[in-house]
Amino acid sequence: MEYLDLAKVENEKVNVLIKDKLKESNELVLKNVNSMHNICAGLSGDCRVTIEDSTGLYTGSFLEGPTLRIKGNVGWYAGDDMMSGELIVEKNTGCNIGAYINGGTIVIYGNTGSRVGYGMKGGNIIVCGSAGRWAGVMAMGGDLIILGALGKECGESMYSGKIFTRDPEAESKMGGNVFYDTITAAETEKLDHLFSQYEIAADGKDFHVIRPVLSGRHEYALFKPDLKPELAKKYFVKRG
Amino acid sequence: MADKKQVTIHNAPKATWNKETLSEIDYKASNGKYRIRGCGSPRPMPKFDDLMILPSQLTRMPIDTYREDCETRTVLGARFAKKPLIIETPVMIAGMSYGALSKEAKIALAKATKLVGTVISNGEGGILPEELENSYRQSVQILASRMGFTRRNMEVADMLEVLYGIGAKPGLSGHLMGEKISEEIAEVRKIPIGIDLHSHPRAGDAFGADDMVVKMQQLREMTDWETPIFCKIAAGRVRDDIKIAIKLGFDGIILDGCSAGTGAAPVMATDHLGIPTMPALVAAVRTLEEMGVKEEMSLIVSGGITNGADLAKALAIGADAVAIGTAAMVAMGCRVCMNCQTGKCAFGIGTQDPELRQNLDVDEAAERVANYIKAITAEAVLLAKSAGKTKLKNLEREDLRALTLEACAMTGIPLVGSDLVIGKGFGFSADNGL
Repeated sequence: MEYLDLAKVENEKVNVLIKDKLKESNELVLKNVNSMHNICAGLSGDCRVTIEDSTGLYTGSFLEGPTLRIKGNVGWYAGDDMMSGELIVEKNTGCNIGAYINGGTIVIYGNTGSRVGYGMKGGNIIVCGSAGRWAGVMAMGGDLIILGALGKECGESMYSGKIFTRDPEAESKMGGNVFYDTITAAETEKLDHLFSQYEIAADGKDFHVIRPVLSGRHEYALFKPDLKPELAKKYFVKRG
Repeated sequence: MADKKQVTIHNAPKATWNKETLSEIDYKASNGKYRIRGCGSPRPMPKFDDLMILPSQLTRMPIDTYREDCETRTVLGARFAKKPLIIETPVMIAGMSYGALSKEAKIALAKATKLVGTVISNGEGGILPEELENSYRQSVQILASRMGFTRRNMEVADMLEVLYGIGAKPGLSGHLMGEKISEEIAEVRKIPIGIDLHSHPRAGDAFGADDMVVKMQQLREMTDWETPIFCKIAAGRVRDDIKIAIKLGFDGIILDGCSAGTGAAPVMATDHLGIPTMPALVAAVRTLEEMGVKEEMSLIVSGGITNGADLAKALAIGADAVAIGTAAMVAMGCRVCMNCQTGKCAFGIGTQDPELRQNLDVDEAAERVANYIKAITAEAVLLAKSAGKTKLKNLEREDLRALTLEACAMTGIPLVGSDLVIGKGFGFSADNGL
């Protein structure tokens, strides 16, 4: 295992250094990342990188193959356009985590912000805590598993993919063009397998699934009048 | 007293309550929703036709139209990218998606680029392998939807376009009507068959310019600073948007005026959003000059380019290249019926219907598009040589005069005959140095 102290390294040079170091060993620990951006963006191959503190924006973007573990918190857009591999966050994250991921698995042991899994196209995203608004909005594939409370407008206009939830109020928090459904045996089995793999204390049978409406057409309302006819003045005018 | 006869006036001209207005109201009254249309806006817009090019006479020598050379080779995106894009004509094929267009049309356009040595942009919905295989140079769009987009797309790109908007429907997302979502399109885009697609309006990985600064660093690392990275913006607040694009570190800008086309868009959007191509281009050039990056940052303009005069005048104003969309479709056979959204294009261009697609002969269409690009490049060369230029890019605004007061006011280019400049000049003084 190799170590790399980034305390005095410029942000633009970090990923080149990381790639060079990984030529010596396929296990690397990064110290003093100090919330730098774009850490491990575009990293590929069979390797394991552990970050001992927190990271800034775009952590592990376009990741393809490696296992990247962050012991601290992670900023916005981590794992965007990820291809494969693992991105594991031990604490909390900002918003838009896993935007457009094509494959691989993202695990967040804490809470995540809004729009987790924005336009995701494949892979798995597991959020052990709660998620903000618009989770899985306009997703086009993949599985988004949220163990904690959902935010509002969950799954709005998903085209494909699934959102697994055990939030008892999930139905009232869903966005448009999705429906609430029971989980199948195969889906339960998949969830249990993931929970076992990432040592998450949960039972797949407790989950329901938010699925996209696949037949017909998405419906949108650009004009939403809040009609209150009983408040019209004419109803208060005494006649006769 | 004799009864007065009631007189009925037939066919009286109606400025407001004309057939189109009545039809629009009927549609909305019947359906409770707005209308979707293909192609773009039929509204008259200011055009490059409102400018004239000054020929060389005693002040400078003309270049022999038929026997002397005029360079058309164009280098784009050399601001920071290590491998700028080099094309043989400053005419590129604009981003039109596989989905809006048939596979045959996309292949024909790609083949045309190989015949004339230019670049094609893939549009939304990923790259069709046959397009990539047949194109001379490939531009890849990074759209807010990322449909069909992966890391692999970036690896094959000769140019990248981070797309913020398109001229025909700025501020709106992609519209692809269910009639065009065939099994194959659905598979590529990862969406259900037959659903009306209203794709992602904002990039989910950069909410604002501050984040985009960091995103740009990521894209540069992913491309090893080799591939030119452009941003494509619709013409709106051009000056402010261009300033931000400069600060973000793009290699170039594709500016799409509201005269541009699209496969499907709300009529309201195409008719009432954005500003026309010619004044937008002037605003962009002014801004690049004001920021001191005109020479290093490439500028491609699109929206309503139809002939070599448009090309020559756009270059003279300050563009480095133009992008064509509708014109290339017309070259393939499109008659601009403006019903692209129905997916029933009889010419096999804007359809996914297997039978209709057979109506397009790919090789013939490719040759026609290539011929068209050759012809308009030659037209621009003819005009440039007449103005005394040995390079197309040497056309300059001093070679232009405005035909109308409106064009003069919009562009800051002097009015023909008078040397009068209205409003803010464009490198000209009020008396033009006389």
